[in-house]
Parts: sequence; structure tokens; C-alpha cells
Amino acid sequence: MASIPLFILLCSGEHEKVQMAAMMASVAAVSERPVEVFVSMNAILAFEKGLAADKRYHGAAYSKLLKDKKAPDPLVLFQQGRELGDLKLWACSMALDVKGWELDRLEDGLFDGALGLTKFLSDAESGQFVTL
Amino acid sequence: MATRETIDARGAYCPGPLMELIAKLKLVQVGDEIEVLSSDKGSANDIPEWIKKVHHEMVGITQQDGYWSIVVRKAK
Repeated sequence: MASIPLFILLCSGEHEKVQMAAMMASVAAVSERPVEVFVSMNAILAFEKGLAADKRYHGAAYSKLLKDKKAPDPLVLFQQGRELGDLKLWACSMALDVKGWELDRLEDGLFDGALGLTKFLSDAESGQFVTL
Repeated sequence: MATRETIDARGAYCPGPLMELIAKLKLVQVGDEIEVLSSDKGSANDIPEWIKKVHHEMVGITQQDGYWSIVVRKAK
């Protein structure tokens, strides 16, 4: 039986939430479950091209632990999920517009394109929906 | 002839050991075995669960001094 697709709406730029989104997305994708991630609001800032990890991820006490313990980098996890499973990432068109960014301001090789919320919500009707 | 390779993922946190295993599984032949050494406590449950879900085979799991040895066989 085919797995129910997982749709993740990632709005927070907090390190802990970006980390959990990446963990959920990558593990579900490699477990033969289709995954789509819609990145919007503050979360889009974590995907800006060329940032060092200490500038990319911001958070509270647990963020420091994740960095100190060298937990897997969220962007690397997203990339692994894409390479090893059926994982798509979409950049929120509105979030890009507000920043005045085009897709090329985001890290290369991670995003499948820009998408509007209406289309994402429509697609997500077929699966399980998680917001972070 | 089936082979066995070892991934030393000790020190890596979830889901690092699992992701390393999956990447290696893509490269080996059906019937080959992979041993994952992991100090991540979750791996002792997560890797067998993943193996069951995607229909590979668990060969064995043993707790060593501060880490687990998890052996799987590529089945498809």
C-alpha cells in the first residue's frame, strides 16, 4: 500500500524547528513516503545562499546544543532526502516577494521552485499536514 | 559473492547513521551486508524499523561498549 504523502509547512526560522523539519522530511522521504516542504516567512532566511552555519541558524538553548554537538546540518538532511527519496522543497512566492528575492538567492540544488500557498494547500489535501 | 561493509557512524546524531546506511545500500549489491556502528541510542530502534518498512533484512543487532552494531542485508 502506498504511503500517505507528508506535507510540511515550515514558517519558523528557529534552528530547532528547521532541524525537526529536515529530520522529518528526510526520514520520511527515505522511508518511501512522498514529502513536500513549503518554506515561508522567517524560515526562508535560513536558506539564503552562502551563509555560514553560525549565521544561518538562530535559536535558544537547544540550538547551541545542536551546534556544539555537531548534529546533522538541516540543509544537508534536506539534500540527502532529495537524493535518496521523493522529497520536494518549495519556496513561498510571497516570502520571496517580500524580501525582493528570486530563487537564485536560495541555496543551490535544494528547491524545486517557487509556489503559491493556494497550490500547496490544494496538493496537501491528499496527505498528512504538519506545521512548524 | 556477498560482501560485508562497515559504516562507523559513532558520534553521529539521529538521523545521521540511518542516512549513511541508506546511502551505502544504494551502492551495494542485493545480498550484501552492511554493519552500522552507532552510538546514537535511537538507531537501535530506528534502523530495524526502517528495514522492516522498506523490506530489507535485519541480520542482527548487538550492544557493544557504548555503541550498537547493527547488521542488515540488502534484499531488493
